[in-house]
Formats: sequence, structure tokens, C-alpha cells
Amino acid sequence: MLRRLLPAPAMLASIAAVVVLPLILPSVAMATEVVVFIIATLGCNLLLGYVGLLSFGQAISFGVGAYACGLALIHLHIGVWGGLFAALICSIIAGLVVGALSIQKRGIYFVMLTFAFSQMFYFIAYAMAEVTGGDNGLLNVPRPPLTVFGVTLLSLGTPLSMYCLAAIVFLVLFVFLHRLVASPFGSTLIAIRENEERAIAVGYNTRIFKIIAFVISSWVTGMAGALYALFLNFAPLSNIDVSMSERIIIMTIVGGTNSLFGSVLGATFYVVVGNLLASVWPRWLLVLGIILIVVAGYLRGGLWSGVEWTWQRLRARWPVAGAVEQREDRGGA
Amino acid sequence: MNLYLIQVLNGLGIGMIYFLIAVGLSVIFGIMNFVNFAHGAFYLLGAYLCYAIAAATDSFWLALAVGPLAIGALAWAAETRFLCRLYRVEHMYQILVTLGLALVIQELVVLIWGPIGTHVSAPALFRGVLSYGDFAYPKYRLFVIGFSAVLALTLWLLLERTRYGAILRAGTESTEMVSLLGIDIFRLFSLTFALGAYLAGLAGVLAAPIRGAEPFMGPEALTIAFVVVVIGGMGSFAGALAGGLLVGVVQSVMSSLWSEGANVMIYVAMALVILLRPRGLFGRT
Amino acid sequence: MKLSRRKFVKDAAAGAMLVGGAPAMLGRALAAEKVKLCSLYPLSGAFAGVGKPGDVGAHLAMQALAKDYGLDIDYVSIDSEGNPGRGVAKVLAEIQQSGTKFFAGAILSSVALAVGAEVHKSGGVFFTAVGADEVTGANCNRSMFRWSVPTYGAIQETVVPLIAMFPDAKRWYTITPKYVFGDSLLRNAVDVFKEKGIEHVGNSYHSLSETEFSGYLTNAAAAKPDVLLLLNFGSQSTNTLRQAADFGMKNKIKIVMVWAAGLEQYQEIGTDVLDGVYVGCQYDVTIDSPGNKKIVELFKRDANRIPSYASVGGYICADLIMRGMKAAGSAEPAAVIKALEGMKYEGPTGNEEIQAFDHQCVKNYYLLKGKPAAQKKSSDDYVEIVSFGKSFLTQAQSLCKMA
Repeated sequence: MLRRLLPAPAMLASIAAVVVLPLILPSVAMATEVVVFIIATLGCNLLLGYVGLLSFGQAISFGVGAYACGLALIHLHIGVWGGLFAALICSIIAGLVVGALSIQKRGIYFVMLTFAFSQMFYFIAYAMAEVTGGDNGLLNVPRPPLTVFGVTLLSLGTPLSMYCLAAIVFLVLFVFLHRLVASPFGSTLIAIRENEERAIAVGYNTRIFKIIAFVISSWVTGMAGALYALFLNFAPLSNIDVSMSERIIIMTIVGGTNSLFGSVLGATFYVVVGNLLASVWPRWLLVLGIILIVVAGYLRGGLWSGVEWTWQRLRARWPVAGAVEQREDRGGA
Repeated sequence: MNLYLIQVLNGLGIGMIYFLIAVGLSVIFGIMNFVNFAHGAFYLLGAYLCYAIAAATDSFWLALAVGPLAIGALAWAAETRFLCRLYRVEHMYQILVTLGLALVIQELVVLIWGPIGTHVSAPALFRGVLSYGDFAYPKYRLFVIGFSAVLALTLWLLLERTRYGAILRAGTESTEMVSLLGIDIFRLFSLTFALGAYLAGLAGVLAAPIRGAEPFMGPEALTIAFVVVVIGGMGSFAGALAGGLLVGVVQSVMSSLWSEGANVMIYVAMALVILLRPRGLFGRT
Repeated sequence: MKLSRRKFVKDAAAGAMLVGGAPAMLGRALAAEKVKLCSLYPLSGAFAGVGKPGDVGAHLAMQALAKDYGLDIDYVSIDSEGNPGRGVAKVLAEIQQSGTKFFAGAILSSVALAVGAEVHKSGGVFFTAVGADEVTGANCNRSMFRWSVPTYGAIQETVVPLIAMFPDAKRWYTITPKYVFGDSLLRNAVDVFKEKGIEHVGNSYHSLSETEFSGYLTNAAAAKPDVLLLLNFGSQSTNTLRQAADFGMKNKIKIVMVWAAGLEQYQEIGTDVLDGVYVGCQYDVTIDSPGNKKIVELFKRDANRIPSYASVGGYICADLIMRGMKAAGSAEPAAVIKALEGMKYEGPTGNEEIQAFDHQCVKNYYLLKGKPAAQKKSSDDYVEIVSFGKSFLTQAQSLCKMA
């Protein structure tokens, strides 16, 4: 049974990444930030890479997840599980509402619709200042220990235990998404991306599939938002701003939309390189702009395609036969 | 009543500038199916070139004449060098590239002119207000309305009465047909892109005396352009005009009725248009 | 054979850990012995215009004063990118990475409030110059200190003197950004109006991203006010003022900008538009005080700079932290906090004092008037001081309840 769960190399690599990140990066806080955005990028990648839908609504789910978790912890005192659950419920509802409406249109109209919704949610968050804190953001989000039946699993008081929570949530979601895209559901999504008319002709209710994908993506991104609120003890208005959607989309495309692991690469790259560049040159956005142009122009598979290319080269030099290869190919990592 | 008259005038003025920004984006998308997230950057450059040229030569008119042309030329260069490779790829890569280009332009502006905004004076001819009893209105804004109206008329003539215009209109229906008819489609694209950038730059030049020039004004222009294009209809000149004026006037009048909501109203309108009448006011299905 | 790739990956991971992790782990072990002072300002993004001067000021303070105080300061500069999420995340990273305890800066109130909470949790000291009342009000904590005057004082020192100066100007119209800070200013203004018998003929709210104010100004003009009170700030107040001047409103109506950003903003507005306009500001280069003379001298020596509120805000926050360390004789945050509470010192606006109950600096707020071009002594001489004073809520009135 363990063998079924046992991951293809991409999964192994993600476990390795999660273990290695806090050691390589200069602080555990940066590693936590990276993992939070990896999760958000996974949500976007599901929609963009597997269904082919470019949505500017990522910030909606990210912000709603953060606010839901923060508000639940502040007002309902229901602990971390409660906070995560609140984020789950709220981001699924938001995803359902926005998704059901946006899915009705395709192509550039879909994109513009999600953009409009994103602005509307921003306005709502800004206007409901008594609830969300408005421009000041939701301050003093507590971070109580993670307990199960009174037993403390993670104290969450230290940076490392906060990181562990984020890492565990990431791994759980990654396994889930990995199996999802490898399943018939995932194949249908890909079929819809490739040629929606044909998928309809074959008899699939593409609308339902797209809405479900949208909701799942929203849920995953909402989880990231909740973790972010826990991590910062703060849920700023900028979480629900369109520029947050832009950032997530950039991470997704730069990482590579052909594989879920691309999200790991993209988010890590953006957060780490962004931090590095910002500390060196205030005009670091210029470099980011150039990177975007280069990636979109010449390296469309993103960083993942670069890794794949290197991997092919290595495999050519040191051939490794065996059943592991077959499992990898079928899994579609 | 006086109040609403002035609000409408305000709206027409802003609306005309919106039209100038949007029409380029609309045509670029209508013909080339190219999502241009750098459009706001052309507007930004327009405002800054206006500032730079006016500061150097003390002539707003020179800035008005030369600035947008320079931007058009820059856009032509960008398009022929590397943007043209992206016409066939998915929208997400077009967005990524043009977003990157917008960032590069914005940061270059900061590098050259600093991060603080600057102030651009209206041309001496149009400084001050036009008074009529109780009613006073800035001469410069009246100039913007008048000038943009003339420009709109010129563009319309260009579209309806010239060969290029005919090709452009045909191109919004089907670029394949146009190229099958033996017309160099790539020249058409380059010209169109340059024209769109020229108009956005022109909008920037005109807007500079009203709201100054500051390095982060690009995204706001881009957002408005998308809203206007959606409401008016993609690829439609009349749509950009009607949409721009409508959005401008509604925003202005709303500031008397529900001031905080003026901004979000346009997004609600945008969403409603996409859901209920996707082709907008004047677009084609 | 089956296991070889897995083994390979595992070995590679172990190797990477050793190679990549070692320097980072070693770096953290050799923690700096100097005291770290970290400044947090938006150096990129939309607020870079005010962020950069703040950073320059803080750095200047450290360079010029640390040795005088007998301190060895290691200065670190963080770019908050004008984004609260990024700002707080970077502060967390800095605290974890280097154990930094002393922070200064912030331009956005949201950043300051969140960073203040984090620094408090880690037992550090944070000195800021942002505007939101909550910093020394409802969200006050033992680690956070604030130099700038909050909304109560800003209104008291601008609106009240003007009412006295122009007793016939009874009709006032306000333009307010619709959010927490704007509402605070408005509330305070309305209180003064009630107290002084001023007719508040109307208010226009606008959103934070608004650039087109013609609609609101038209509304304002229709209400026929004597005074137009601008409660917005930054580029929004610049645009409102500019457009008000375009509409010829300056001739008939007195315009007051309560929360001006200082020299950088005056440069952006320009002499023609600023002429005859009243502005309120936390600082001005023409302040006649020994503290300010010293600052002007220091700035001049460093690349011939002219101090502005943005740069002096950065300067004084860093300076006060260092003074606290010197007075405490240690770099222990608890000792520094105790030393700072109740400290009286010679600041840019004259004699200043840090209140113990809410960590708010008691200092002057200035009402200034824009000069016409003919009266300017130099190209950067935009305003002249009209009046100034200290107005602060008492402990009984304050919302700050610190342990």
C-alpha cells in the first residue's frame, strides 16, 4: 500500500526540498514564506497548467483564506484546526461563487471576469473595515498550539514548528493534487484544456469539471492564505489585491506549468531571488521584468523544463533502468 | 443643475483620455489577439516625456507633437524585435512578457527621473479658468475635450476613409483573409501596435498637466483600459469612444452620489457586461 | 538497480544539505557582536519616493552619531516594498536570522502596526514615524515608540489656529480618504468644528487609489465653503490641490492640507500651486531650534542635502534608539525601553519628550503657508511657518492601555 503512495521522483524531490529549505535558506521564516507561496502556486498551477484557465482570482482565495483563519482565531477561539477549517469553508464558497460565474465565459473574457471579481472582493475587504481591519489589516492573529484531543502536536511557538505545519500542509496537498491530476478527473481536465469542444462532444459536462477545478484551486490557495495569516500573525489587505494574483501567476509560469513540481521551483525562485535582489538593488523589479521576458520568450516550460532538460542529460550519461522509470512515466510528474 | 453639468464635463474630459488609452488596446487585441499588459507603460512614458520635453524646451506643444511619436517608434521597435514572436502563443505568455516589459519601463523611469512624482504645467495658452458668471471651468480641461474630439474624428476618418483604415477594419474581422489578399500582415501588426502605443502616449501627455507624472501611474491606466475595452467591445473604435465616455461620466457623477463606490462600480459594470453582453456595446460577437 | 535512482536522489539531498547548509548554519552561529539596528522602508514600489529619504536619514544618523554615543552599530536596511505582507515577513526573517532587536522606520501604518506586534513578541524595540493613531492608541505596546504627531495634534495645530486667524471663515468642506486614518482625521476635525461653531458644509469620501478629484472638487465648490480642508495625503493630496488650483478655487477659497509630507511633496506640487495654501507638517527645515540646527548642518555635510520630514523622520527614529541605548548603558531592549520612557531631549522641533504611558513623543506640529515665487529665498524654500504647538490626548483620553 505504501508503494501506491510512494512518490515518483518529483514527489521525493518535494519532500527533499521541504526538508532542505530551512537549512539552506538564511532563516526559517523565509522558508515558511516560500512554502506558503508554493502552496498558493500549486492552486494556480492546477487551474492554469491542467485546465488551461488563467485566473486573476488567486488573490480572492488567498485573502479570503487569510481573513477567515484570522477572524476564526481571533473571535471564535477555536484553535488552529478551526482556523484552517474556516479557511477551507470560506475559500470553497468564494471559489464556488466566483468560479460558477466566471466559467460561463472563456478565453480573455474569463480572464477579465476574474480580474473584475478580484477588484470587487478587494473593495469589499477594504470597505468592511470593522471586520477586516481595512487598510490596517487584521492585526494580532493568535497562533495557539496545534492540539488533537488535548495532546499538543506542534506548539507553533517557534519558527521551526510553524514551518513544520506549513510543510506538512504542503505535503498533504501535494500528494492530493498529484493523485488528482494522475486520476481520470485529472485527465479530463487536461482533455478540456487541449480541446474543450471535443471533450463536450465526447459527453463530458465541462462546466462542472471546470467549476470543481476552480473550487479545488481556490481551496488550496485559501489554505496558503490561512498559513500566511498564522505565520505573520497578520492578514494585510494586500493579500486580496490584484497584484497578489499577479505575483502568484508569475510564480506559476516561471516555475513551469507542465508539472506540479514546477510550482515548488517557481515559488522558491521568486521569493528567494526576490529577497536577494531587493536587498542588493532597490530597482530589483527591473531584473524581475527581464526575467519574465526571458522566461516567456525563450523558456516557456519555466524552470521545470530546465530541470527536465538537465535530468534528461544526466539520464543519457548514466542510464538507470528499472520499474521506477515506468512508474514515473505513467504518473505524469 | 449646474453641479451635474460640471460633473458631466469632468466626466467627458476624463472619458476622452480613457478613450485614447483604450482605443489602442482595443485595436491591438481586436486585430492581433494580443493581450498587451505594457499598455499602461506607454501612458506612463507619455506623461514623463511630456515632463522632460516641456522642462527642457519650455514647450508643451513640442511635447505633445514629439513625445507620442517617440513612444510609437519605441513600440514599433519592441514589436518588430521580439513581441511579434508571441502572437501565436497562449495569452498567459503574452501577459507575462508584457508585464515584464511594463516593469522594465517603470523601473527605468524611476532610474532616470527618480521615484517621486513631478509636476507638469499646462500650456500657457490654456492656463486658468473660463468664467461665465458663477460657472468656472479649467481651460485646459476644455482643451483636452476639444483636442480629443478632433483626434477622435481624425481617427475615425483614418479608419473609414483611408486604405490603411480599411485594412485595419478588415483585420479586426479576419487577419487570415487580409493576408490572403496579399497584404503584409506583419507590417499591419507593427503599424497597429505602434499606433496603439502612440495613442496611449498621447493620453499620457494630455493627462500629465491634470494629474502630474509619477512612476506608478501605469497600472491604473491599464486597468481602466481593460474596463473600457470590455464595456465598449473589443476591436471596436466606436466602442472605445462610447465606453470611455460612459465610464468617465459615470465615475464623475458617482463622486457626487456615492464617492467611495465610484471605483468599484466600474468593475461591477465590467463583470455585468461580460456576463450579459460579452461583445460590449459595439463589439462583434 | 531499482533503488539506485532513489538512493541517488537521497545521497544528492544529503550532499546538498552539507554543502548548502553549512555556510548558513555557520553564519548563524557567528552572530554579530555589534548591535544591529535595522531600518525598514519601502525602497521599491509605489512608496519609494518617501521611503528612500527615510532610509538615508536613518543611515546618516547612525553614521554621524553612533560614535558620539559610544556605540558600535551595525546598520541593516530592509526594503518593505510598500507591501505589508513582505515587510513583516522580512522583519521576521531578520529577527530569526540575526537576532536583531532594534527596528526603526516604516511609512505605511499597516506595516508599522504589524511590525510593532512582531517586534513586541520578540522583545525588541521599534521606533516609527507613521500617522495611524492606533500605534500609540488602541494597538500600543511596550516595544513600539512613535515620533510623529497623530491625528488629534495634527488637527488641533492646523484647524484651530486657522479658525482664530480667519474668524469670518465659517463654512468648511472636507475631502477625506475613506479608510481608518482618514476617518480619524475627520473625526477630530468634526470635534473641533462643533467646539468652535464652524459649519461643516459637506464631506466627500474617496477611495485610496483615486487620482481624479474633479468630481469631489465640483461638489465642494457647489457647497460654497470658505475653507477647503484636505484630509488626504501623499499623491492624493497633491492631485487634489493641483486640480483645485486648476479649477480656480484658490482665489475664492482657502485651502488647507492637514497632513503634508514635506519638502518632496512641495517639490512635486510646485510653487505656483502651493502659493497661498496652508499645510500642516511634522517638520520644516526652517525650524529655529538647536536640535534642528545640528540636523541641518549634518545633512549639509553629507552630500549637501536639505532635510525634509521624510528624511528627518528616519533620522530621529534611529537617533532616539541610540540615545536610549546610551542612556541605558546597554543594548538590552528592556533597559532601553525604560531609558526611553519619559526621556526629555533636544529634538528637531525643540524640546521634546517621550511619554511613558503610550510611548508617544510630545513635539510640535507646524502650520505653514506656501510662499509666492517672489518671496522664495532659494529654489527649495517653499513654505514659511505660521504657527506651531503641542497638542496631545491626555492619558485619560487615550485608548492606550499598556501593561
